[in-house]
Amino acid sequence: MSAFLEVTDLRAGYGDARVLHGVGLAVPQGEICAILGPNGAGKTTLLRALSGMVRVRGGIRLDGTDLAGRPPDALARLGVAHVPEGRGTFVPLSVEENLRLGAFIRRSRAEINADLERIYTYFPVLRKRLKQAAGSLSGGEQQMLAIGRALMLRPRLLLLDEPSLGLAPLVTQELFRIVRAINEEERTTVVVVEQNAHIALGIAQQAHVLETGRIVLSGTAEQIRADEQVAQSYLGYRV
Amino acid sequence: MVGFLQQIVEGLGAGAIYASLALALVLIYRFTGIVNFAQGEMAMFATYIAWQFTAAGVPFWLALVLTLALSFVGGMLIERVVIRPVEGAPELTVVIVTVGLFIFVNAAAGWIWTFLIKDFPNPFPAGAFEAGGLHVGYSTLGILAVVGLVMGLLYLLFQHTRIGLGMRAVAANPESARLVGIRVGWTLALGWGLAATVGAVSGILVAPLLFLEPNMMGGVLIYAFAAATLGGFDSPVGAVAGGLIVGVAETLAGAYVGFVGSDLKVGVPLVIILGVLLLRPQGLFGRAVVERA
Ligand SMILES: Nc1ncnc2c1ncn2[C@@H]1O[C@H](COP(=O)(O)OP(=O)(O)OP(=O)(O)O)[C@@H](O)[C@H]1O
Ligand SMILES: [Mg+2]
Repeated sequence: MSAFLEVTDLRAGYGDARVLHGVGLAVPQGEICAILGPNGAGKTTLLRALSGMVRVRGGIRLDGTDLAGRPPDALARLGVAHVPEGRGTFVPLSVEENLRLGAFIRRSRAEINADLERIYTYFPVLRKRLKQAAGSLSGGEQQMLAIGRALMLRPRLLLLDEPSLGLAPLVTQELFRIVRAINEEERTTVVVVEQNAHIALGIAQQAHVLETGRIVLSGTAEQIRADEQVAQSYLGYRV
Repeated sequence: MVGFLQQIVEGLGAGAIYASLALALVLIYRFTGIVNFAQGEMAMFATYIAWQFTAAGVPFWLALVLTLALSFVGGMLIERVVIRPVEGAPELTVVIVTVGLFIFVNAAAGWIWTFLIKDFPNPFPAGAFEAGGLHVGYSTLGILAVVGLVMGLLYLLFQHTRIGLGMRAVAANPESARLVGIRVGWTLALGWGLAATVGAVSGILVAPLLFLEPNMMGGVLIYAFAAATLGGFDSPVGAVAGGLIVGVAETLAGAYVGFVGSDLKVGVPLVIILGVLLLRPQGLFGRAVVERA
């Protein structure tokens, strides 16, 4: 039996510069997979490969469908939602327009309006800012908007790139609690890249450590948390 | 006083034409960051097509609709064929491509229709509407109405349709637009099609006032540049306001500033462009670029 998301021998880069040298992953449906690793390891590149933003060689399968080599807009139509590093909101557009753009490829107005309500229950602040330009939101609010926009796609696979970037610890905790809730309620499969290993391992079932374009360590979240080397490098304490 | 108001009315009429071409420039700039030097020539070419229809006996308004539809398709084709290959190339490369397009379209029009001037039918009745000594030509009223209509339609498109929202998303952040499933390439082509259509309107409006010939739009393009610079290259509302202001300034300067007269008034756009670039480079309505990390 193959997993929901199956990545095999994935290689990708920019021009001549190879960044990923054969990455393999398998994420069962409905699970959260955390990707850890130092700066420049290729974590962002891995997510960009999964959403079609960089050219790839190797295999990417989502529920049996081959994703490799398709452009980002085609992957969005297949249910891949990517919240990029730095959020990627449509800054001059209003909060509501940003959210509606998330559902650009969907047709049913009634469903879209119902989903907007659902997003507001996850992120109540967004409702208060509906007509405000996205660029005028605080960093945390923008991150919530970016995740909300991704959810408006009704994704089958949600890619999150460093959602904690620039957020206060309490806001980060809240955000991860919501990601966990979304994952549980909607059974959305999530791949999350995080510098804050501790908090990512708290919600993930499995984790991988990426270093210079290769996975150097894989396991369940508990195993990775217990690993001494990871603890030293990424958790900031010794076990 | 009536004389002064009269000049303003004339200026608004001329300004509306600059505004429509400026609007076309701004549309393309917003979507692609490209200043399309060939915008005026594309408009001129469209005007010839309209002329060809009317010369073949097609009623004016039908000829207009056909021409606008052809301009739309033509604009999209130009994006696909000429602009697409240099997408992402350095700015200078793209500028040179649009200058090349300018020369090509100009030469093509001369080759097809010769450089002899042609009379272009005026769609509006002659004569004027009079109020308190003020003469407002039906032609001026017509031009203002058409440009107002174009603006209104664009507003509806951008603010109240899904396609318009998608276009604004592409202008704001093409990468994120792709991630939500928007076909960015087609959207850019759509922007060029729209701009070509809006530009065609300006050509068809100006042709009855000037004569139709391949170099007809040269002057108008300069005024449109002044209008877009004044209003802010990224602001459609600014383009229209800028066009009207430039039209009025030009007419007033020609009438009241002794040494300017009708010969030197073509210097007005240059003065405006320089002044704006020195004092407020983002224009009256443009956004200064402020990046938030
Ligand atoms: N657009 C690009 N063009 C060329 N090289 C790039 C580009 N983006 C990233 N790289 C290179 O690819 C490598 C991996 O970058 P990537 O952004 O994937 O790392 P990361 O693990 O996400 O790092 P961080 O934790 O700092 O976000 C780096 O060496 C980087 O210099
Ligand atoms: Mg990164």
